[in-house]
Amino acid sequence: MYKTEVRGPLILGDKNYHQISTDIIAPINQPVPLWWKVAFGISNLALLFGLVAIYQTVSVGIGTWGVNNSVGWAWEIINFVWWIGIGHAGTAFSIFLLVLRQKWRTSINRAAEAMTVVAVMCAAIFPALHMGRVWLAFYIFPYPNTRGPLWVNYNSPLFWDFIAISAYLLISASFWYFGMVPDFATIRDRTTSKIKKAVYGFFAFGWVGTSREWLRFEALSYVLGGIAAVLVVSVHSIVSTDFAVSVIPGWHTTVFPPYFVVGAIFSGFAMVMTLMIIIRKMYKFQDYVTSSHLNAIAKILIFISLIMGTAYATEAFIAWYSGNRYEIFTFFYNRATGDYSIEYWTMIICNAIVPQLFWFKKIRKNLTAAFIISIIINIGMWFERYNIIITSLAKDFLPSSWVTYSPTWVEIGVFVGTLGLFGAGVLLFFKFIPMMAISELKGILKVTSYNTNDKKHISHE
Amino acid sequence: MNNHFVVGVFDEEAQLMAAVNETQKQGFQIQEIYSPYPVYEAIEAMGKKTRFTFAAFLFGLFGALGVLAFMYYTAVIDWPINYGGKPTNAFPSFLVVTIVITILVVTIASLFTFSARAKIYPGKAYVLPDPRSTDDKFVMVFDKSANDSEYQRLAELLKAEGAVEVYEKNIEPEN
Repeated sequence: MYKTEVRGPLILGDKNYHQISTDIIAPINQPVPLWWKVAFGISNLALLFGLVAIYQTVSVGIGTWGVNNSVGWAWEIINFVWWIGIGHAGTAFSIFLLVLRQKWRTSINRAAEAMTVVAVMCAAIFPALHMGRVWLAFYIFPYPNTRGPLWVNYNSPLFWDFIAISAYLLISASFWYFGMVPDFATIRDRTTSKIKKAVYGFFAFGWVGTSREWLRFEALSYVLGGIAAVLVVSVHSIVSTDFAVSVIPGWHTTVFPPYFVVGAIFSGFAMVMTLMIIIRKMYKFQDYVTSSHLNAIAKILIFISLIMGTAYATEAFIAWYSGNRYEIFTFFYNRATGDYSIEYWTMIICNAIVPQLFWFKKIRKNLTAAFIISIIINIGMWFERYNIIITSLAKDFLPSSWVTYSPTWVEIGVFVGTLGLFGAGVLLFFKFIPMMAISELKGILKVTSYNTNDKKHISHE
Repeated sequence: MNNHFVVGVFDEEAQLMAAVNETQKQGFQIQEIYSPYPVYEAIEAMGKKTRFTFAAFLFGLFGALGVLAFMYYTAVIDWPINYGGKPTNAFPSFLVVTIVITILVVTIASLFTFSARAKIYPGKAYVLPDPRSTDDKFVMVFDKSANDSEYQRLAELLKAEGAVEVYEKNIEPEN
């Protein structure tokens, strides 16, 4: 039960239902602001650079990258895991909070799910390119063919990963889409433009909001929420098994699955915070994304940051406690004090120490500070993957195979391209899709506001 | 088919529910209720139930057994390959793919079930008595022919329960 007296109303400004529709649809009907055009231009330039780099990779080959015999996985896998991590929070956010019936999710879940879909698309680019001959990517599908039939290896984490990522993309996209159907109907019935009525009407699938439709809609969202919660946990566990089932020091640890899942939710929640602060500021949605919402995200971030700190400490402790010299070398001489100490301590400071500033209410309430910390967390999470992947591969068992790694412009280009794709995707979402779930906001309006007990409402009871 | 209806429009959920209870008590048959967000009492009052979760369970069972059977057929019967001496029927590591594909099957099948049962699909010719019901109004619709003689009484009843508008309308499917 949501106690408004204790936690404050979730929607400020004494709104009525009609105002909610008008407010949330407003950005779709207004011309795009200047900052949007500038940001969209920059995103597209970045995307263009990425396309050039992808062209170079595909036409010349993986030789254009900085990877070598020892460091066979590098920049691309770092970015793959990073994007997947960010892509995790959208679904984690909306589904865990749906299952836990947390009403404050309603202002945020739509944007979080949009972020998920775009981030997973960005992530999928990297393993596809890493295959080398991307036009043969279909070999990974289990299908009968002329080569055997040669079926895939169901024991391989790389195959699990392919299945998990594809399923995750399909499921989060459909979960997101069906949540939008009632809102598309609202746009269809309110717009005066013929084109918008036709387009949104098509995507609304004939939704009218009868009790028959709502009953199944609610049943569908709880069924999908319930099972996709399992998926959120399993997908990133599977990503972690890509590393954990190998025998590379620093990868071969049982803490990896929970550590990866928590890390993914950490970076994703930080990205949700970044996005919600942008939405709140740029579209003046402070009545919907209240400081109480951001406060709640900040508190979750403190908690996850503590788990991350514990995970880092556990890894180091077990490396020492196991007495395994390769593990001790990797954690104490390679990562913490060796060539990669800057990256290691960046990770520790950004992920385990800086977020602790959220213990102070002043910082939780200060949007600029919260925005900066959310960015720092995402940088820290990038360095976490850098640490895991590069340090373990660059110096493994044989000193004769030790090498250093640095990315080429092509690798950096692909990453910049995915940043551009993410930016462009999110900006298109801002423009064409209602940024918050209108029908869900209406559903929580009365139960979580002070005017629950106003005269109009109880006059007939 | 008769498509002459009585439409009652309400501003608030509480008024709608009072009207739903009162009209049902007096024996009027509610054709349908339209609301901008799910009103659980209204769904309940309409006597609508769904076996959606049971269907989802069946999809899951079918998905899990199907994918396990598929993996067993391909890895054990059709083309067994020795991967480092592991058994071809490596059941525990098949479970990972089973879980993910089961979730995928449940999701896709649930979406199609939803589409079929709630009748939500692209290009549908929909019936929307009052377009404000997707925005801020709660709308009750009654079949006019069934209540013709009592129309006056129904209209007064709806008004008394707080309806902001009561009107008659011929409703044709849109688009």
